[in-house]
Amino acid sequence: MDKLERLLNLAAALLHADRPLTADDLKDRIGGYPEAKASFRRAFERDKDDLRAMGLPIRVESVPGADPPIDGYRMRRHEYSGSELRLEPDELAALHLATNLVRLDGADDGIRKLGGSTGEAADELGYVPFDDALAVMIAAAADRRAVRFTYNDVDRTVEPWRLSFSRGHWYLAGWDQVREAERLYRVDRITGSVEAGEAATVDVGFVNDPGDLRGWELGDGDPVRARVRIDAVQAAHARHLLGAVEEQPDGGVIVELDVRNPEAFRSFVLSFLDHAEVLEPPELRQSVIDWLEACV
Amino acid sequence: MSAKLTAKERMARLLAVIPWVVEQDGALIDEISERFDYPRPQLVSDLTDVVLFVGVHPFTPDSLIEVDITDDRVQIRYADWFSQPLRLTPEEGARLLTAGRSVLNLGGDQTDDAGHGDDDTEDNVASPLLRALAKLGMALGEGADRAVDVRLGDAPEAILDTLRGAVAAGTQVELDYYTYGRDQLTSRTVDPARVFSDHGNWYLHGYCHRAEAERVFRVDRIRDATATGEPIVHALDAPGASFTPSGDDPRISLRLPADQSWVIEHYPTEDVVTNADGSIDVTMAVTAIPWLERLLLRLGPSTEILDAPAPLDPNLVGAAAQRILQRYKP
Repeated sequence: MDKLERLLNLAAALLHADRPLTADDLKDRIGGYPEAKASFRRAFERDKDDLRAMGLPIRVESVPGADPPIDGYRMRRHEYSGSELRLEPDELAALHLATNLVRLDGADDGIRKLGGSTGEAADELGYVPFDDALAVMIAAAADRRAVRFTYNDVDRTVEPWRLSFSRGHWYLAGWDQVREAERLYRVDRITGSVEAGEAATVDVGFVNDPGDLRGWELGDGDPVRARVRIDAVQAAHARHLLGAVEEQPDGGVIVELDVRNPEAFRSFVLSFLDHAEVLEPPELRQSVIDWLEACV
Repeated sequence: MSAKLTAKERMARLLAVIPWVVEQDGALIDEISERFDYPRPQLVSDLTDVVLFVGVHPFTPDSLIEVDITDDRVQIRYADWFSQPLRLTPEEGARLLTAGRSVLNLGGDQTDDAGHGDDDTEDNVASPLLRALAKLGMALGEGADRAVDVRLGDAPEAILDTLRGAVAAGTQVELDYYTYGRDQLTSRTVDPARVFSDHGNWYLHGYCHRAEAERVFRVDRIRDATATGEPIVHALDAPGASFTPSGDDPRISLRLPADQSWVIEHYPTEDVVTNADGSIDVTMAVTAIPWLERLLLRLGPSTEILDAPAPLDPNLVGAAAQRILQRYKP
């Protein structure tokens, strides 16, 4: 039997069931599974994972009256079809157009469930990198749940407030339950998977636009004020990047930066090559010198 | 839509196709194929060879789905289990919310260069989009309104407007452009073809009269843009990539430690090889020496230069570090 036919029959059997069905019940009712116990079990687990990945709400319940207890499976129809999300044709067309204009990996599955692509197509206007971890965090922010992940080798439990894409990076702003403080994270520095957790405990706070923060401002420690001199030839570029600067008589500028991430600060200063010099504080100046000496 | 779909992809599509066809009370094969991105031959064979045999125990004719295809029109009956659309998962909803909110952030004019130059764009697109996002937000939860924010790029609105206006009108622009890699400010006349966003930056793709070739410009490095009103001379069809190295550029080969793998995601690389210890060997095109100096100084001493054939200087990073260190000597 074709895998597609088996998956469809499995879904139909789970929806049709008026009581939880054991794996063996399902094997008997569906057919198309291998006879040997171990290979049946593997195929069944894979099918179940595949269906869940598509969003089928398969419940595990213990089979009534079974001793010893045994797992049974079923789907409830109201959970299968979910909320009353019904879009009018023009609304679906507008949403479809949005997924055409701004391409995100994986947006098409949702459009199909809502009735398929419809209306006019459009040339892509932009690409936004996207993945499952972001989807989990945005869904958790919407549903006001916490998420768990690892960041800088530390396990965190965070109530997401907002996911922002700015200057090419995704940022998570939210409440860190362990540190009991507001925190901002670079999403691409999260390692491993992101798991949704329990309901949020703290009200959503005000979120500054992380796009206004720069790499050297993202860190856990207290900020250190640094002064950097930038030569005249790069002054226009510095003004453009940083806004307020101290103008110097020779056309150069001095900029002041609040540094929480010394590595990012060093990379920024070195991007000016020999047109920039860290003036203060001495320890940041020395760390740039040490780095350069290691590069020679 | 030429690639063959896997069993999982066909399953997901059928769970969307069946309720839609039932609700429409029948639909044409081509329409289903287009709407659900389902290659026609696979769709037809799945409906006639598979769905027709789907049902529940004991699989007697009255417990099977009925599929009828007459004159290219599909009718599906007795598909009770699948007659309602499968719920949208929160993660799928999050993707749609993100796409929709990104477009809302663009405001009205921005849809112009996507081929919707007419004045009623706002009425046709934005308000149904707002309604769709409101419904989606209700399904996702009370935090949905604030859950996601997307800025496709940072560039002065006035410059973006000038460029978009010129693209729509088919007229030339004069740019003061800062070339970061070479550290130069230049003026040039450009026949603009398209404004687009990639990884958080706006770009202009067009024909540059100074270079006498196609070029892609980062809009945030355009210091000034003036519409001249002169009609463009070179119309470009193909969309520009945000960066295209030329075959003539020298290549450099580097060995990056595992924690510097971000380089591969941020720069166009050729010949990427991951070694047993997790380090990565890459070859990259060098379009400008200052660009390479910046990259190597940022990567620091843990990156090894494997090969830097002439005209590149194998000691380029050491020389650059020396030059900068001069500033720090008393």
